[in-house]
Amino acid sequence: MDNIAGTKSSLTWAVHISVALLVALWLFPTVGLLVSSFRTSDQIATSGWWKAAFPSEQNLIIRADGPELQVQEGDLYVIEGDLFEPGIEVTVSVYGVSSRAINSFVAGEMGGLTKGGDIIVSSGGHYRMTNTEPFTGSRGQRIFVTAITPPEFTLANYQNVLFDPDNREGMMKAFINTLTVTIPATIIPILVAAFAAYALAWMDFPGRALLVAAVVGLLVVPLQLALIPLLKFHNEIGIGKGYVGVWLAHTGFGLPLAIYLLRNYMVGLPRDIIENARVDGASEFQIFVKIILPLSFPALASFAIFQFLWTWNDLLVALVFLIDSTGDTTVMTKQIVELLGTRGGNWEILATSAFVSIAVPLAVFFSMQKYLVRGLLAGSVK
Amino acid sequence: MKKLLFASVAVAALAANAGFAASDLAGEQVTVFGPWLGADQENVEAVLAEFADQTGADVRYVGSDSFEQQIRVDAEAGSAPNIAVFPQPGLAADMARDGFLTPLASGTADWIRENYAAGQSWVDLGTYAGADGNDALYGFFYKIDVKSLVWYVPENFEDAGYEVPTSMEDLKALSDQIVADGSTPWCIGLGSGGATGWPATDWVEDMMLRTQPPSVYDQWVANEIPFNDPRVVAAIEEFGAFARNDAYVSGGAGAVASTDFRDSPKGLFSSPPQCYLHRQASFIPAFFPEGTAVGEDADFFYFPSYASKNLGNPVLGAGTVWAITDDSPGAQALIEYLQTPVAHEIWMARKGFLTPHKGVDTSVFGDPTLQKMNDILLNATTFRFDGSDLMPGGVGAGSFWTGMVDYAGGKSAQDVATEIQASWDALK
Repeated sequence: MDNIAGTKSSLTWAVHISVALLVALWLFPTVGLLVSSFRTSDQIATSGWWKAAFPSEQNLIIRADGPELQVQEGDLYVIEGDLFEPGIEVTVSVYGVSSRAINSFVAGEMGGLTKGGDIIVSSGGHYRMTNTEPFTGSRGQRIFVTAITPPEFTLANYQNVLFDPDNREGMMKAFINTLTVTIPATIIPILVAAFAAYALAWMDFPGRALLVAAVVGLLVVPLQLALIPLLKFHNEIGIGKGYVGVWLAHTGFGLPLAIYLLRNYMVGLPRDIIENARVDGASEFQIFVKIILPLSFPALASFAIFQFLWTWNDLLVALVFLIDSTGDTTVMTKQIVELLGTRGGNWEILATSAFVSIAVPLAVFFSMQKYLVRGLLAGSVK
Repeated sequence: MKKLLFASVAVAALAANAGFAASDLAGEQVTVFGPWLGADQENVEAVLAEFADQTGADVRYVGSDSFEQQIRVDAEAGSAPNIAVFPQPGLAADMARDGFLTPLASGTADWIRENYAAGQSWVDLGTYAGADGNDALYGFFYKIDVKSLVWYVPENFEDAGYEVPTSMEDLKALSDQIVADGSTPWCIGLGSGGATGWPATDWVEDMMLRTQPPSVYDQWVANEIPFNDPRVVAAIEEFGAFARNDAYVSGGAGAVASTDFRDSPKGLFSSPPQCYLHRQASFIPAFFPEGTAVGEDADFFYFPSYASKNLGNPVLGAGTVWAITDDSPGAQALIEYLQTPVAHEIWMARKGFLTPHKGVDTSVFGDPTLQKMNDILLNATTFRFDGSDLMPGGVGAGSFWTGMVDYAGGKSAQDVATEIQASWDALK
């Protein structure tokens, strides 16, 4: 019964479950990154992001106010204050005053300080230290508490990446520069590739098959091979490092895939339309502009998405062909790497920057996504 | 306070300028390419801004985290910056051999000998064979890191009644004491992405200097004695005595290779402390938890030498070397400017800068801990440069790293050393 056309396969549920699993698998790291972008670096270092949403029992070291804030009450010298910011729901269970004994006293009970005097910490985090002698020393007493703290999230990372005065200018410049790189680097290869693909698909000339094979062969050449020779060439012809160079490089590296994709799509267009047009006296150029281009729109759009995402996320090509030591040119990816610091330890900045830089590609993808699948499949499935 | 410091720097600048013939470079662009990003970038830009003020040159600094690869690409293609700041002398030596560096002005070597502490060793470290095979001074050292430091939390020591050890014997006794008290003495992490293993190379180098005379260290770095020499194997095993001892290391010996070096010091500050000691270079406070005051919340002591071995107080360090990759009057003037005390004092007044320059005013140091570090540098009876930075890249930034990860994972020191020697032979 399963294979009768028009009836639903009983294996639909299996398909649904595997799709759900695959989607979850794909989203898992992204969600982790998103959660991490709202956490401080210390939180990231001490606990996993999957624990971020729940209250957790933590061992904390909090420093009480220093001796300069002590007040005299009768015979006693007193330092009093709160361990936590007001408004945070914290429950302290046990506390201590030495790193060797962090749970020597129960919250609400009186304990003794190592250098003389008494201390009491309430379960809400209020502490009071008393002593008959004045407190001395340059810093406040360390209080070790074991407390259940509510989940805590921060917008400080986004604040830092987007609005910090030190970064804002650089980010804004990098954003504009990245657009300056990506838009021409997307349009130029499409223009060139569309002409080439039409010729390879519909114009008869000797050696056409060989040319197509050569283009397919170029797909497997790693672009890293070309970095130094190409830069040398740019330097010799006087382009040097700059926008023209990076546009040319992206165009060159993108063309094989673009030609291959568009040619496969155009070959699949109905022959009748094109032959009719020829009979009606249309020139090759007219056929290309009036018939082929409008019909190929899904393929053009899908390649545009590819090329845009690739140039937007690119760091390597930009570093080699664009960014010189004058510091005038930079791109988003480079700017983000810079935020990581010399030794690259700022994970929270990395997570946040990833979401900031993903915004534009996401917008592009969602506005054009209906063409993506159509354009990809149209070339391969008849 | 800060303003006052900068003011005093400015005064010092005026006084110091007598020596630097501030040539007029108005409008000339001088490009500098280096490994510093973030806070360090601001610091180096402040130093360069002073040069721009003095000469009128348009100085541009660009940093990159993939400096080592990028400088090669730029040099090969002919679009090199005027000045490159190498984090490893080994790479500078390679570039000099390939003819990409310009020798420094003729008087520079003499100047370094006269004005840097242990001047001759800095000249030697900056002297490489050029494309023509002749030795010349190509590199100028500026900004030094001290590596022989052990970090600890003074208040934790106080709580437990521990004293700062002054000899290696004491340090081992302290470690045993901490174990006996039911805690873990050390936090060690070797993880560093593609560079995983490098913190262990520093340990081994420090152990070499503490078990063998410096001449043996030099022979080892130059591969005049093989890597699997018993003396080197013994030094690796000295490191193993700490890192491969489950009771000594937070998380057990198995966690050493997988813990990121940036996360490993955090155990010092946890409650209860996961460890009491952490051996790492002078830059590590950048990875302490936010708000940690160095000198109060955390402090350091000199990684001590064996009292019984009579090898003095050796200090392991590293540094950045400035070299001219595209010669111009501006580039020459910039190297000349780095010889003035003010170029050092500007960064000293900020953070994370040590210098062997004897003519600087050490009172301008931004915080007292830096001064303490500089004292370690000046009190050293032996100063040796990080050996892995001097070895060929394939060893010092390759098989030595991976070999140390294997060793931390349980392979024998002899096997690891033999493999590293084999990879070194393959490079010859």
